[in-house]
Amino acid sequence: MYKRLLDRLLRWTLGLDVWINRIYPPDFNPLYYTGGLSNLFLTILVLSGIFLFLYYVPSFNEAYTSIQYITGAPPFVANAVPYGQIIRGIHRYASDGFIIVILLHFFRNWFTERFRFSRDEPWISGMMLLLFSGFIGVTGYVLVWDQRSQLLVAMTGHTLAAIPVVGGAFQFLLFGGAGTTGLLLPRMLFLHVGPATALYVFLWWHYVRIRHPKVWPPAVWTLFSLGAVFLAAALIPAVSQALASTGAPPRFLAVDWFFLIPYVSLNYLTPAVLVLLAVVIVVYGLYIPYQLPETPAEMGIRDPGVAQVIDANCTGCELCYFDCPYNAIVMVPTPHPGVTKAAQARKLLAIVLESRCVECGICIGACPFEALELPGYLEQDIQEKVVAACRT
Amino acid sequence: MPDLTASAPRRPRVVGFLCDWAVSSEGLVREDGTMRDLPNVTLIKIPCSGFVRPSWLEFALRSGADGAFVCGCPLGDCFNRLGNNLIADRVVQMRRRLERQKFQPDRVATIFYGLHDGPEFVAAVRAFCERIAQLPAPPPAPARRPAAGAPAGAGGAEGASREPQAGPAPGREEP
Ligand code: HEM
Ligand code: SF4
Ligand code: SF4
Repeated sequence: MYKRLLDRLLRWTLGLDVWINRIYPPDFNPLYYTGGLSNLFLTILVLSGIFLFLYYVPSFNEAYTSIQYITGAPPFVANAVPYGQIIRGIHRYASDGFIIVILLHFFRNWFTERFRFSRDEPWISGMMLLLFSGFIGVTGYVLVWDQRSQLLVAMTGHTLAAIPVVGGAFQFLLFGGAGTTGLLLPRMLFLHVGPATALYVFLWWHYVRIRHPKVWPPAVWTLFSLGAVFLAAALIPAVSQALASTGAPPRFLAVDWFFLIPYVSLNYLTPAVLVLLAVVIVVYGLYIPYQLPETPAEMGIRDPGVAQVIDANCTGCELCYFDCPYNAIVMVPTPHPGVTKAAQARKLLAIVLESRCVECGICIGACPFEALELPGYLEQDIQEKVVAACRT
Repeated sequence: MPDLTASAPRRPRVVGFLCDWAVSSEGLVREDGTMRDLPNVTLIKIPCSGFVRPSWLEFALRSGADGAFVCGCPLGDCFNRLGNNLIADRVVQMRRRLERQKFQPDRVATIFYGLHDGPEFVAAVRAFCERIAQLPAPPPAPARRPAAGAPAGAGGAEGASREPQAGPAPGREEP
């Protein structure tokens, strides 16, 4: 059932690719660069965020006005902060762009099954990135301290309260006390910037097993994304809503559909259901790589087995090390010389880290010294097949 | 086995390495690995296009194939991230090497099609076959020992001995 659905989704994804490849040369298919695009938007966010950080004041009295000051809204002179309005807009729209591309990245890797075999680690770290990104988005909207922020705080508190036993403690941790306390905004500022920094830790984890990650999209798409963000920032100025007031009960005024969908859903769900749903989604997301425990044999392909280095032949030339896409090969100082002539003077020896190897065999293609093999696809077998093919 | 090929149109003998994750071989190949539509082409399944050692393509040519190709996923969408880009580069390098060895570099190729692009893949392979059918026959190889594992008849048998099998395609001529 799930398998069939996944097959269907894969078919659509690849079909879409074929269609896009007709328009762009495959090297420029933006869907091949969703990871790089995520990184691009994240970089834009960090840079514009640092700028905003320099002016932001995390207190009830000044938070709202400090942002009005940045953007040069009415009580303040326009352009008191050079390009303040534009940069705020960039930060807002780049965050929307970030969520779009990170979701594209998520779905694409899901549908094309890039979590199989030893690829679970990029997937798990990716889920962390996704969670943190959503969280950062919400704390960001609280920082503005307009009526929407107030509503968000109220709704979050409400939802957390629905968690049995620990709900109150969570609320206390998040907001620095029951209700809105003076600690709220400093804490939100930290919870905006801190996790944003943590994203880079997760990204390290994300990239550990990926050699030459394509962290930037092709230049045209970089320029296009930058242009789109600048254009949006210029055409639709990012504005705050009315200042949060302690008196009037806030109503929802404008929704950022990319971040605030869970809050919209509160119109239809009870907080307890929402919490449950969120937990289920997250747990399921983390479970995805382990849901299909198919071995290659079950998938109808021959099991290649983890790549093996043939100690006697390895010359330590490092070619496999450069080409393994999953960083599964390390070069170590050789404990003893090799056997073949070319291998006798070697200084290094290739080692395959089994836990990282996805059994692709790319290192076999890289090794000019016949010092690597896939147990399921020995060179000899291949050559026999070739010979047989030439005989028929 | 000869009867199988005898009934089929005589076309250049081609060996293709097909990645497990690229074009689905379902419905494309027969039991013995030859392609349903192109009986002169034998497909060998491999775990990733990047797994192919370029020397195997050369080995295929030396063993008597008229052409050899590797098929991977569309460039940029390798299931193993970089395999198809790497094999593309390696084959480009290899073509230079082949030139020096008096094989026409056009006898090796890379083809990139995704899981569901069967028909396009077949068309591309057909085009490849037609292209190598047009190539002049390779010059008779200098006396060389048959490659290890190859039967005496197949190794180093470029040129004359294979001529009847490869068949005189219309455009085929001696250099
Ligand atoms: C801050 C957000 C993220 C950034 C900047 C990012 C960036 C990247 C980059 C640059 C790559 C390497 C792509 C390549 O060169 O082939 C990659 C791979 C990957 N990402 Fe992400 N990513 C992010 C979030 C996610 C999320 C949310 C998921 C899904 C849960 C995810 C899952 C993966 C997986 C499974 C791979 C491995 C792909 C493969 O093995 O071919 N990433 N990511
Ligand atoms: S490519 Fe082959 S010879 Fe070179 S380091 Fe790797 S295993 Fe050793
Ligand atoms: S088969 Fe080779 S290239 Fe592929 S992941 Fe394993 S060690 Fe790396």
